[in-house]
Amino acid sequence: MPDILTGLARRGVSRRAVLATALATPFVIDSTRARAEETFILGTWGGDYQRLMMENIEMPFLRKQGIASVADIANDEVVRASKLLATRRLPRGPMDVACVSAVQAFQLGEAGVLEELTPEKVPNLAHVKSGLATATFAPHIWSPQIISYSPDRVKSPPASFGDLLDAKYKGRFGFPTANFFYAMMGASLFTSGSTTDFAKAQAFMSKLNAQGMRLYPTTDAGGPPFKTGEIDVGVMWLARIAMWQNAGIPVAAAFPKEGCILYVSGMVIPKNAPNKKAAFAYLNAMLEPQAQLGFAEHMGYLPTVTTAVLTGKVAQQLALPDPAPKLVAPDYAITAKAYDVQHDWWQKSIEHT
Amino acid sequence: MSPRRAQAASAAGLLGPATCVVLLMLVLPLALLFRDSLNRFDTIQLMIETVTAANYRRFFAESYYWEVMRTTVLVASLVTVLCVALGLPLAWRLARTTSRWKSLWMLAVILPLFIGSTVRTLGWMILFSQKGVLDGVAALFGGHVDLMYTATAVVIGTLSVNLPFMVLTLQSVFEGIDVRLAEAAQGLGATPARAFRRIILPLALPGLSIATILSFILGMNAYATPVLLGGPRFKMMAPQVFTEFNTSGNWPFSAALAFILMATTLLLTTLSNVVIPRRYRA
Repeated sequence: MPDILTGLARRGVSRRAVLATALATPFVIDSTRARAEETFILGTWGGDYQRLMMENIEMPFLRKQGIASVADIANDEVVRASKLLATRRLPRGPMDVACVSAVQAFQLGEAGVLEELTPEKVPNLAHVKSGLATATFAPHIWSPQIISYSPDRVKSPPASFGDLLDAKYKGRFGFPTANFFYAMMGASLFTSGSTTDFAKAQAFMSKLNAQGMRLYPTTDAGGPPFKTGEIDVGVMWLARIAMWQNAGIPVAAAFPKEGCILYVSGMVIPKNAPNKKAAFAYLNAMLEPQAQLGFAEHMGYLPTVTTAVLTGKVAQQLALPDPAPKLVAPDYAITAKAYDVQHDWWQKSIEHT
Repeated sequence: MSPRRAQAASAAGLLGPATCVVLLMLVLPLALLFRDSLNRFDTIQLMIETVTAANYRRFFAESYYWEVMRTTVLVASLVTVLCVALGLPLAWRLARTTSRWKSLWMLAVILPLFIGSTVRTLGWMILFSQKGVLDGVAALFGGHVDLMYTATAVVIGTLSVNLPFMVLTLQSVFEGIDVRLAEAAQGLGATPARAFRRIILPLALPGLSIATILSFILGMNAYATPVLLGGPRFKMMAPQVFTEFNTSGNWPFSAALAFILMATTLLLTTLSNVVIPRRYRA
């Protein structure tokens, strides 16, 4: 470094000028960006999801409007929700848009921290499929919970959650522990016909656990065991099956006859969002058909708007069987309150045994 | 200004900035965390301000949390014992070697610290998993190795993180001990082992106690290794604090767990000091 400085000094550039330029460069770059773009804070998951948001929503739709996001990344939505709750009384909140699941969104809606969303504010909300949106939640993607299985080793796939108790799957069933709540809702649906009979769901999951149920620490860790032969069956979203298949993992989906619990993920705007105008524009862009199709193609999630129609390989991969399976949305009013109790039970009675 | 005052001013000048940083960056957040631990959790409101010991009572009332703490202390203790057993001879050899390869050996010891703990753990996962490297080697001999999601994997993974700290600390301690003392003992008829035990080890004890405490604290607070190598069924305190904060959103209880973990670590560290005779303490 001193040699470089000496060289520049010989060319008539003073050391002070070089150092001052080096120190000022980040600020110059930053101020250029600030002038050129209106920014808003996007609370989101990282990884592929964030990348696809950039490629399918922000770059094609928002950048030409001079709007850019600043990402606030947390890989668990509870962190975002807690942040919104903790800062609810501040005049300027920490986020303009927060990505959360429908369960979490309902909880935040109940706490009164969310801005009401209408087609006047977000025109594309008019095209959202029925049953997915709420007054404060714009659905981005959805996927049914299915039974995953290895097509190489399971010739006759399970037809319902009940089949998972078959002795042949002893020690051969497993799934990511993060999905426990949806798995429990699936168990409840099988045992009681409703998604909220958690007593029956607990009894069912305890039986599965006694049969050597395997749990994985992250969602991604749930795919490779199908390839290594560690497990034959599991519980997962249809979207993940498509992703794993695309990654070369031999896995297939079976739709439980009692119904599939819907996983819906989307976005909310806090009441104290500093830049609501940009937030509304972002939600509207997120609901554009082209943006929705990008997520279907790369992540395997189904579009939430009627205007996005899947075609080709994606349509084939994500097609629901004929006759269409029963799709069951969680009872958000109950799940929002039940989550903590069930999580506590899951930790102590399932994971810790 | 009198020399005494000048000395005091100089001391304040030297200590002041660091003290301010510690107060701002450690004491203040800890005070806020402690205040949170006395609040009540609410699913919808997140935290309701009150002053209650309920979060601390919950830890002591539920055997689950005791078991998590017991596992944590056991893993941290076992890893520390293994660190001493493996690190002591290695550090002694490194300190006494005059080989021209010495700096290369030192680099090999600290090399694992160049890699982030998560990335290093991912490497262990490739080694330990079914159809992984170890399993592949075992398959050549008709065997099968699946260490993933076991206590053994967690101990090995944590050991790999802590061992460089132990070796580096002990090596610098041994470097500072005059080699002629051991030679004098051997000159008086002591075997090398006896000279090490009676002369070198007592002199190294203050440094050894620091290295042991360091390893124990790192073991007590291990996060990435137990999560990735232990899996969801292997419970240790740091992941438990994170789960309560991150998955349950229960900030008050997670704050209480953090304080209990910190207090336990401090208590056990202090107790270890009592065990070591005063004259050998750091």
